[in-house]
Amino acid sequence: MGISELASISITEAARKLGAKEISALDLVRACLKNIEVRDKSLNAYLEVFDDVEAQAKKADERRAKGESHPLLGIPFAIKDNILIKGRRAGAASKILEGYVASYDATVIKKLKDAGAIFLGRTNMDEFAHGSSTENSAYGPTKNPFDEERVPGGSSGGSAAALAAHMALGSLGTDTGGSIREPASFCGLVGLKPTYGAVSRSGLIAMGSSLDQAGPLTKTVADAELIFNTIKGEDPLDSTSIGEHTYAKKSAGRRIGVPRRLFVEGVDQDVLKNFETSLERLKKKGYEIVDIALPSASLALAVYYIVMPAEVSTNLARFDGVRYGLSLKGTSLYEDYAKTRGEGFGPEVRRRVMLGTYVLSAGYYDAYYGKATIARKQLAAEVTRVLEEVDCIANPTTPTPAFKIGEKSDPLSMYLADIFTVTANLTGNPAISIPMGSVTRDGKELPVGIQFTAAHGDEAALFAAGKALEEK
Amino acid sequence: MVSKKEIETLAALARLKLSDAEVKTLQKDISNILEYVEAVSTAKIPSGSTARDGIGIVLKNVMREDTEREGDLLAGKRENLLKALPKREGDYAVVRKIIEK
Repeated sequence: MGISELASISITEAARKLGAKEISALDLVRACLKNIEVRDKSLNAYLEVFDDVEAQAKKADERRAKGESHPLLGIPFAIKDNILIKGRRAGAASKILEGYVASYDATVIKKLKDAGAIFLGRTNMDEFAHGSSTENSAYGPTKNPFDEERVPGGSSGGSAAALAAHMALGSLGTDTGGSIREPASFCGLVGLKPTYGAVSRSGLIAMGSSLDQAGPLTKTVADAELIFNTIKGEDPLDSTSIGEHTYAKKSAGRRIGVPRRLFVEGVDQDVLKNFETSLERLKKKGYEIVDIALPSASLALAVYYIVMPAEVSTNLARFDGVRYGLSLKGTSLYEDYAKTRGEGFGPEVRRRVMLGTYVLSAGYYDAYYGKATIARKQLAAEVTRVLEEVDCIANPTTPTPAFKIGEKSDPLSMYLADIFTVTANLTGNPAISIPMGSVTRDGKELPVGIQFTAAHGDEAALFAAGKALEEK
Repeated sequence: MVSKKEIETLAALARLKLSDAEVKTLQKDISNILEYVEAVSTAKIPSGSTARDGIGIVLKNVMREDTEREGDLLAGKRENLLKALPKREGDYAVVRKIIEK
């Protein structure tokens, strides 16, 4: 049984066909369900496919028949398992949340529901979004649809694989250090990490609260823009959310800065070749490419692996076996906690909680967290200064194409996959990964991505650069 | 290298029960990661500020009026929140007795 071609079209194209009554939402979900049946047994992108998707589709078709016409009406989505949908299981791919059912809708879900989107199911991820490969899921790794021996990236690997294998038309992920952009790069998709605060975090299972953002993974830039415009906006339930006018609008320019010194070492030669080819194509579209310097960016990953675990260790303190999920009993209150958390969290989560506890402990606080905070300030100041001169910063999204499952067993080597993506989370800038062709490994074509970063609130510059690159 | 005792103290602070084998692995992992993140020590603290100044320039503060919001944001959600409790008696969460005689 082959895969259904209908589920391989973009959201924009599907919306046109739905509007023209060439297809129904029911046709779309059936196409996705068929592809899930064919491919997901081996890919493991979905942790759960909901049992009411056809009913949801019929409802969307009824809404259209009554005259509604939002472009996302009837579009089937795959949703990362750390985004709450009321009445559905949500678990951040962790055993500690076994049995937890969401008691409310995340704001992003509420907005998608209002628009009429359909939720196919919840997708696999690195446990609590801790990872760059989806191998840290408590429910087994997700595989890359382009080469099943390789990882799809992470932590939103399930959302990326679901989309790349045409088992959904759109998907939502979350991005704390690259968790939308890196899997987008590895799976040949567009992935957007919006400006910090542009999209409400209410109803996301928190990882690093000064870094987290939810955003779309899509097949085209127009699709990403459409989803972003639907889910963004100020929200009383998230006091860090921002409005349209929080940041001054920039004029639409066409200058791209490239911090070349950052990738003289450690970047795959084929990836670099694709990157240079993409810059040449942008030049032909009227973009000016200039060299820029970001001296503090070489510290970004070190800063990130202090700030992030510090926030993780505090955010994950709420999983104590009392309020939700797994609850194990020992001989004392202390043992109840330690047993529940020791057995409920997986190894990478335990490692990050320990690291965060270390860098925040008295005696080490100033040397690690304090210094990281200073470096973070410097980095933000540099990025802001550079973005006064250029409209976007460009670099390869990841230093390599997708790596093999099991290849990065040492935690530090895995962390290095985030080297180009963490900066945007530390500084709060919006960043997008756009497909820039593929490289050949073991006879397989593996996609790679180019990342653009823009000034706060200037997602428009990212979409413009992405569309310029997308045009044939 | 981070000592076995340090790892055990951190695990107690973090309320994590770890096996002896994991304590050993974490000694190595945490030491390696700390060695890498040590790079931040080169960051210069600007004159007039301290390492505890927070991330003021990174984020823009957005203030709102301190007024009562319309409606209860959690209205109707009480039962759903109670339903999530692993151990429940009526409308109460069952927890272990903390204060001993």
